Amino acid sequence: MRPDDALSIAREDLPEWLALLGTRAQMIAPTSGPHGDVFYSPVSSPDEILWEFENSLQPPKRFLLPQTDPLVKIHSDGGRFHLEPVCDDRRQILVNLRSCDLKGLLYLERVHTYDLPDPSYLRRSENRSLVSLACTEPCPPGFCICCDAGPFLRHGFDLQMTMLSDRMFVEVGSDKGRSLLEGAESMFRPATPDEIAKREALEAAARDHFKTETCHFGSAMRRISTGRVAEELWEAMGDWCLECGGCTLICPTCYCFSVKDRRVDEGWVRCRTWDSCQYAAFTLEASGHNPRPGRKDRMKRRFFHKVSAQYYQRDGDVGCVGCGRCIKVCMGTTNMPAVVEAIRKGEWHG
Amino acid sequence: MADLFSPSVSTILSERDETPDTRTYQLRFRDSQEHERFVFRPGQFLELSVFGVGEAPFCLASSPTRRQFLEVTVRRTGQVTDALHALGPGDEIGVRGPCGNGFDLAAAEGHDLLFIAGGIGLPPLRGLIWNILDERDRFGRVTILYGARTPTDLVYKDELQLWQGRDDIELFVTVDQAEPGWEGNVGMVPILLEMAELRPASTLTYVCGPPIMIKFVIQDLLMRGFAEERVISTLERTMQCGVGKCNHCCIGHLYVCRDGPVFNYRQIREMVE
Repeated sequence: MRPDDALSIAREDLPEWLALLGTRAQMIAPTSGPHGDVFYSPVSSPDEILWEFENSLQPPKRFLLPQTDPLVKIHSDGGRFHLEPVCDDRRQILVNLRSCDLKGLLYLERVHTYDLPDPSYLRRSENRSLVSLACTEPCPPGFCICCDAGPFLRHGFDLQMTMLSDRMFVEVGSDKGRSLLEGAESMFRPATPDEIAKREALEAAARDHFKTETCHFGSAMRRISTGRVAEELWEAMGDWCLECGGCTLICPTCYCFSVKDRRVDEGWVRCRTWDSCQYAAFTLEASGHNPRPGRKDRMKRRFFHKVSAQYYQRDGDVGCVGCGRCIKVCMGTTNMPAVVEAIRKGEWHG
Repeated sequence: MADLFSPSVSTILSERDETPDTRTYQLRFRDSQEHERFVFRPGQFLELSVFGVGEAPFCLASSPTRRQFLEVTVRRTGQVTDALHALGPGDEIGVRGPCGNGFDLAAAEGHDLLFIAGGIGLPPLRGLIWNILDERDRFGRVTILYGARTPTDLVYKDELQLWQGRDDIELFVTVDQAEPGWEGNVGMVPILLEMAELRPASTLTYVCGPPIMIKFVIQDLLMRGFAEERVISTLERTMQCGVGKCNHCCIGHLYVCRDGPVFNYRQIREMVE
């Protein structure tokens, strides 16, 4: 960490700084819902922002990849069609992102930049600033440490904050991050050696927290990449899948979609909508043929995309950030660590 | 493609019934400059939209050597194709593309070429065939084997007659079931392999048709000494985006819409679902 990239701000000054940022862009932050659930949502005042919270069940990916993402407006004028691409140029600052979720957004950025860059995604991402809050107390089901996605990040953030006792330690990770400090310079000062030492100690302590929640991708990756996972094992695990698609919808790195025309006002809007490779109709062809007819086929697909060396090579990472959401959501227990362990051991707990 | 998902408005110039459920459309971009700029290779495909209904992929059935219009041949099987069949000359649709890799024409140069198609499998090869016929000197012998369920199901009937009459092509046609008035061959496509003069060492083979036909034809070709790398086919999968993002058409880490749809048989054999 370069000295001018490490700053700190008094915790009582945080609201003033965030209020200033709120005048420049829409602020997205973890908030408490009506029944105490945590949601990332737009806030109008820093008072609404949560600083100590269990991560939200819905990852913040929807601010970059909305569930329904309008792409092109279509309207007809006496049989002549007019098309108009839709741009999302709103400025948004996402604050208090958990390390795993920020890592998930970096993964999404890469897949939308790879091969043919997707301008509609990239335009939105240019207009988003990502401010993470490092996890000094990792959450119970998380295994980010196995995915190089936490509890602290080394790069990828615009700003990474670490809560010290009376001050907030702030690391600048990009020019975009630095611009978030403009106009608030008087509130920040360079971090002292003592603060840097505290931050390092917090990271070391957080890493020590991980004892039992682990996910050993190595041997699973070798087996999945070379097709050396027994069909009977896929079948046994597939039997437990309820085909709800929950794992894919709450996954910070899942981005499969379909393209649909939706009726609006006098015309239509062509949308990208979330879809799931776990649904039977995902690969169903008009002829009625389905190349992935069984649950085991679809589960194999999901884990090939997440864990194979072929995709690792393409995307530079496994398609998992260890957030543990699939552990919470999957009623069939076919979550990432359970499947990876079953592949490693060659047997399914069921 | 500046914007990956924005189609260009195109006009249907004409339509022609091929079979009771299959029709060929001639298309032209509404913006004629855009039409002039559009370049493609045979074997690539278009994402066509019926606005308000949706989008689906269709192979380009015309040759890049014939630029007045683009042609697609569409069988009526789903929502988009139903809606497309309800449209006619003068109606506007969306065109996005070209998508996919297409056939490697340079690799075919100087070789003998064997085309084997079944039913609606001829359209993806038709653009390549016309391209080759329009530049006939660059290639060796051209042999076309084509079969369909019944004579009614044969597409491009006029062109089959045209090809039959040319002395620089060998064409063999068969049907699974004859109809009154049919005097040609009866039997599955592989019977045509018995009739044609095959030269495995110098030939590139292009196979397209229903999966079961492809399976038997390729087995037959391999037994006759054709090399796996020289047997080329096009794959079909459900697709949405056509640009390698949505993940519908993946086979392992390959995207049929980007890495394909054209693959040689060695690549196909090594694919992991």
